[in-house]
Amino acid sequence: MPREAEPSTNEQAFLLSALRENIRLDSRAFDAFRPIDLSFPGGPDEYGTAEVRIGKTRVLAKISAEVVAPYADRKFEGVFTIACELSPMGSAAFEVGRQDQSEILLSRLLEKTIRRSGALDTESLCIVAGSKCFHIRADIHVLDHDGNLMDASCLALVAALMHFRRPDVEIHGEEVTVFDVRERDPVRLAMQHQPFCVTTSYYDGGAIMLQDATLLEEQCRDGEIVISMNRFGEVCSIAKYGGTPVDGLSMLTCTNVALEKVKMLDKLVKDSLAADEKRRDAGGLMAELSAENDR
Amino acid sequence: MPLDTSTYALAHLRLDGRRWNELRHLHAQISTQASSDGSSYLEQGNTKILCTVSGPQEQRRNAPGGRQQQAGAGSDTEAQIVVEMNLAAFSSTDRKKRARSDKRVQEMQFTIAEAFRGTLFTNLYPHSTITITLHVLSQDGSLLTACLNAATLALVDAGIPMSDYVSAVTVASAPSSDQSLDEVDPLLDLNGLEEQELPFMTVGTTAAGTGEGVEGEAKIMVLVMETKVQMGRLEAMLSVGVDGCRRVRGLLDDVVRTQGRRVMENKIS
Repeated sequence: MPREAEPSTNEQAFLLSALRENIRLDSRAFDAFRPIDLSFPGGPDEYGTAEVRIGKTRVLAKISAEVVAPYADRKFEGVFTIACELSPMGSAAFEVGRQDQSEILLSRLLEKTIRRSGALDTESLCIVAGSKCFHIRADIHVLDHDGNLMDASCLALVAALMHFRRPDVEIHGEEVTVFDVRERDPVRLAMQHQPFCVTTSYYDGGAIMLQDATLLEEQCRDGEIVISMNRFGEVCSIAKYGGTPVDGLSMLTCTNVALEKVKMLDKLVKDSLAADEKRRDAGGLMAELSAENDR
Repeated sequence: MPLDTSTYALAHLRLDGRRWNELRHLHAQISTQASSDGSSYLEQGNTKILCTVSGPQEQRRNAPGGRQQQAGAGSDTEAQIVVEMNLAAFSSTDRKKRARSDKRVQEMQFTIAEAFRGTLFTNLYPHSTITITLHVLSQDGSLLTACLNAATLALVDAGIPMSDYVSAVTVASAPSSDQSLDEVDPLLDLNGLEEQELPFMTVGTTAAGTGEGVEGEAKIMVLVMETKVQMGRLEAMLSVGVDGCRRVRGLLDDVVRTQGRRVMENKIS
């Protein structure tokens, strides 16, 4: 039964005393994120994979689609499931196959943020009401855990959903044709809004609050508040499960800081998507007509 | 739906006849089960919870799965808190047998365990386990709220030292397409129908850690919101919620003192 190695008393005391003097161990501002790197690996025709690196934390999200029958009580909607994978590759504390607390919380928070808030329009996934719909499956793999899994996973998931293209569908009366990606250009998913998570860790009963905690900072914290919102200021979910009690004013301050960060993340995703689009779509028609070969 | 009807604008009454800041009828008893260390029965409107507490007792070897990462695990220096929630199949409108590994239930269990880890003096009982078992007999909204309140009472009955009660309440934000932000009333203590229709949050507060005892300002221990709400509404919702928690705390305190009085009278007579 692997257990995460707890930081030594020295390390904890050093971290806390530095925070009380307004210094973070890596000299960041309290509300600064580590450098975020968002990329979309895969060939020119492969959509829906997003890899996020926040500092040393690495998360990969992959989206896939297949045609299934919809749920009996939701005939007009498609199916959208999120599966989280915390493998020992990410951290020695994770076990294969076993669902422990952090994995359950991660998947619950992601579900609340993205499924319950209706980020993905499931009605657009319906092909034939009651008999055929798309099942969009999102797989999140944590490759490296150095704190702030929540934010990284949510960012990866939303970026992957915005990047993904599902197969095009044509319906003639009762006949449904699902085109392969080589026959027809695949179609983007319909997203209503883009929610992002911002986790705030606090110390000293709410006196010190910081965003994007590293693993060491996470292990020493009093508690955390996870706020999911979109850039319009709509809060999709707030989660504070126990920890030291915090007063209401600090919670509201958190929300304001979260909004700024969400706008930053939103811009990052849009810029990365635009850059990726340009990379994949090199040339367009003129490139196809050209007879030049690579040498 | 509870507010779209034109009558709300006229009389400002909800479907069950309450105003925006009225709690449902809260009825609770403690020491209901003689066999457990601590027990309580709590009714908030139609939500009925039975709670029993055993502990602190010898540490459970290999608690389900033998996970060391359970909430409240710190076996060398403090007691472990294990929460089990059992939703009866007949508790909701449609009879539904719940699977054990339902994530929503596990999340609630974790929330309750973490909330009490902050208030109970677990450092007094190393190598022990405190087990809180909640039986949900009827669900009509505010499930997490009622569970937290019932567990507080049962823990007080069990005599486990704690710094303060954890009292919880739900708050919703009334929909308004044509009203300005200032005119929206946050609704307190939701029933099942309102919970389905309106965005709401569960707030749990405690005065623990303020060092000023009961009269100190209550701080937020638990805050769970799963539905979309505009940022601007949060402030009003939170302040109404914290005030509601204060009132619930008063009611819970009355229940405990009534029981205490009864015990003293029995001893004297």
